[in-house]
Amino acid sequence: MSWILSYVLSSFLDGCLNDMHFWCLFVLSCDRFVLLRKTNLPLRMDWEGQKLAEQWMQIMLVVFAIGAFITGFFISSFSLMVYIYGGSVILTGLLTIPNWPIFNRHPLKWLDPSEAEKHPKPQLTTSSVSKKKPTKK
Amino acid sequence: MHSFGYRANALLTFAITILAVMCAFASLSDNFNSPSPTSQVQVLNINWFRNKPDGDDEVSMTMNISADLQSLFTWNTKQVFVFLAAEYKTRKNSLNQVSLWDGIIPAKEHAKFYIHTTNKYRFVDQGSNLRERDFNMTLHWHVMPKTGKMFADKIVMTGYRLPEAYR
Repeated sequence: MSWILSYVLSSFLDGCLNDMHFWCLFVLSCDRFVLLRKTNLPLRMDWEGQKLAEQWMQIMLVVFAIGAFITGFFISSFSLMVYIYGGSVILTGLLTIPNWPIFNRHPLKWLDPSEAEKHPKPQLTTSSVSKKKPTKK
Repeated sequence: MHSFGYRANALLTFAITILAVMCAFASLSDNFNSPSPTSQVQVLNINWFRNKPDGDDEVSMTMNISADLQSLFTWNTKQVFVFLAAEYKTRKNSLNQVSLWDGIIPAKEHAKFYIHTTNKYRFVDQGSNLRERDFNMTLHWHVMPKTGKMFADKIVMTGYRLPEAYR
């Protein structure tokens, strides 16, 4: 069970950092690095994974809503319909919100640092450097 | 769908929108219910019938009210509010409605009832028009839903008459 908790926690921390919550960053950043070292968790979803998570969320919610409505209607219990739907919302949340590995099957390929050094960034020639010399007379 | 908070927000918003749609469908499903209620009112006794000092007539009566409103209940019904009104016509007003008794029925099991009671609310006229007056006893009900539209209807029972002299 602890690995489930660590996935949920890592994605929550990931979300904190992305949302620029500085207090969150300060308090929990140490825990995040501990988690990284210990478990090598992927801390983000890739683009394909995000699309998949969104699709799963929408389809699951609609299918469970239809199922809950039909069940409630034929058993004549409005409260049963709401309880089934509430449970399905929590289940959908557990499946689509944390950064499960399924959502990281197409990770982004960042350029290798040694490769980047072979193609240095062009230097900006600023006009202010040449301006200073004439005035210093 | 980049971060945890973003995904959680999207999930909750979509979930609540779908819940609103489900409630709308639940309310629409009430239209498929075709109820067949029955009721009967018997006036057993006129306890007193007088002209009040301020000029208005007043009647007190004992009645047996019986009704079967079980077919009004659906899966989306919270309670049924029912009241009995005496309706009559005078020279001044084409319709007078005076509520004599009301009650709340919280569940289908209590919807078939028989009560023996005096009028809960006073039967007072605007003026002194009640002697020898023909009136209808109308049982009105409001079906209050858990979500959505409230339905209201009534049964009119005719053939009641007040005495010709004060007692």
